[in-house]
Amino acid sequence: MIEVNSLLKSYGDKKALNGISFHVREGEIFGFLGPNGAGKTTTLRILTGQLKADSGEARIMDLDVMKGTREVHSHIGVVPEETNLYERLTIGQNLDLFCRLYGCDIRQTDYYLKRIGMSEEKNTQVKKLSKGMKQKVLLVRALLHSPKILFLDEPTSGLDPASADTIHRVLKELNEQGITILLTSHNMEEVDKLCNRVAFLNQGEIVEMGSPEALKLNYSKRRMKVLIDDGHELVSRELDMDGEESARLVSEWMTEGKVRSVHSCEPTLAEIFVKVTGRDFV
Amino acid sequence: MTLSFKRIGAILIKEAHDFKTNINILIMYLIPMLLAYIYNNFIPGMPKGFALSFGLLFLVVMVGMYVPSMMIAEEKEKKTLEVLLLSPASSVEVFIGKGLLTFISIIVSFIILIAMSGGVGFDETVVILVGGILTAVFCIQVGIIVGLLSKNQMATGVVGTPVYMALLLVPMLGSMGSPALEKIAKVFPTYYYNDMLYRVLYEFEGNHTLIDMLPELGILLGSIFVAFVLLLLVYRKRGLG
Repeated sequence: MIEVNSLLKSYGDKKALNGISFHVREGEIFGFLGPNGAGKTTTLRILTGQLKADSGEARIMDLDVMKGTREVHSHIGVVPEETNLYERLTIGQNLDLFCRLYGCDIRQTDYYLKRIGMSEEKNTQVKKLSKGMKQKVLLVRALLHSPKILFLDEPTSGLDPASADTIHRVLKELNEQGITILLTSHNMEEVDKLCNRVAFLNQGEIVEMGSPEALKLNYSKRRMKVLIDDGHELVSRELDMDGEESARLVSEWMTEGKVRSVHSCEPTLAEIFVKVTGRDFV
Repeated sequence: MTLSFKRIGAILIKEAHDFKTNINILIMYLIPMLLAYIYNNFIPGMPKGFALSFGLLFLVVMVGMYVPSMMIAEEKEKKTLEVLLLSPASSVEVFIGKGLLTFISIIVSFIILIAMSGGVGFDETVVILVGGILTAVFCIQVGIIVGLLSKNQMATGVVGTPVYMALLLVPMLGSMGSPALEKIAKVFPTYYYNDMLYRVLYEFEGNHTLIDMLPELGILLGSIFVAFVLLLLVYRKRGLG
């Protein structure tokens, strides 16, 4: 669905992308993770035809993004990081404009507004909306022409948990309907929850890529945390997953009915990022 | 490149909605009317036709340049232009949609100004209307160029003010009798519209039909072409980003 090879982009002397390659399969939710300035937005802007790469190859649905973006644009929806809506216009006027530009059914507006629970606000001026509501409108705007691929740049940045949850739910539903999604984020939990595969981007390079589960297992120290009740208080014990001693202890505690919880100790995506890059995820 | 009237219409409708709630722009349309009203009613001894002449020149030149430059600079500043260009709309369609709204609103204000002045004869109206249309098209293109060269709305002041002043004030000063100033003013196409207004609204002798104004109209048409070429050059060099 998306194929990127050796993409290079510099701003003056600074290399923003240092020859990154990756692909996104049809129906996948693919996440780009990295701190500010890692090259996430640059990648997204090149893929959506808003920025020209210095060299490399980028194809969307087998269309060469470098050669022209007119046809590419009809297949993609873009939710930018900035809430770039027409603030003086109402939600309905904002969405109607794009329905007319794409030549799509104007009823799409009502359908999607209902789906995100904002039908009542259709005639409200955008400047009167909260950040979460604006983000939802951006999502609807990107969906009006029924794109096959959705690009989202930091879709829940600065949103309250409830608004972020709604966005996550809608994205999951859209993905279940077959829309391929590529999103950038520096929210590890979001990516962990939503994405089938993630790529860690650091200083313009992909330093790790895979499914969140596989990454966590790869970097796991194979240890587990057991919470036991010794009759007086709850005690947490950390054990190796392998070895007879651990098996014996857990078996003993279980037989005695002392075990309250057992957790495997996989690292979080943030911990993996720090391990791979040697820098904090900020 | 195929132009779509549907897409141009969509942008025009959007601009019309936005126009109604944009105080900065609405005020610009009120200024020539207000000035014409004040000159007509509160300043004694004003030469007949001055108020209408000044109002029309301000409307066509100042509003014609200011409005599209602000529209484009605002879209750049708020990054709405990016998403517009991700849609099937081309930059030419965006320019036409914005320019068309400015043009239509200038013509409507033009009619209101003439009505406020108590009306002008048919031949005279045709002359100032045709001259006004050509000058407006020229100024709208200049306004788009100013918008393209400005990073944001505030920058339109820095980029645009010298241009606005040159195209509005120099022709007016040039027609006040100084041969040196007149020589400079003749470089600017708006001088010729100002001259047409002067001849039609101040001088009441002689013919004032379109045929009598052919040289001025020719210069205005040529200026439209020059501004168009300049617009293309600026767009190719700077793009919309």
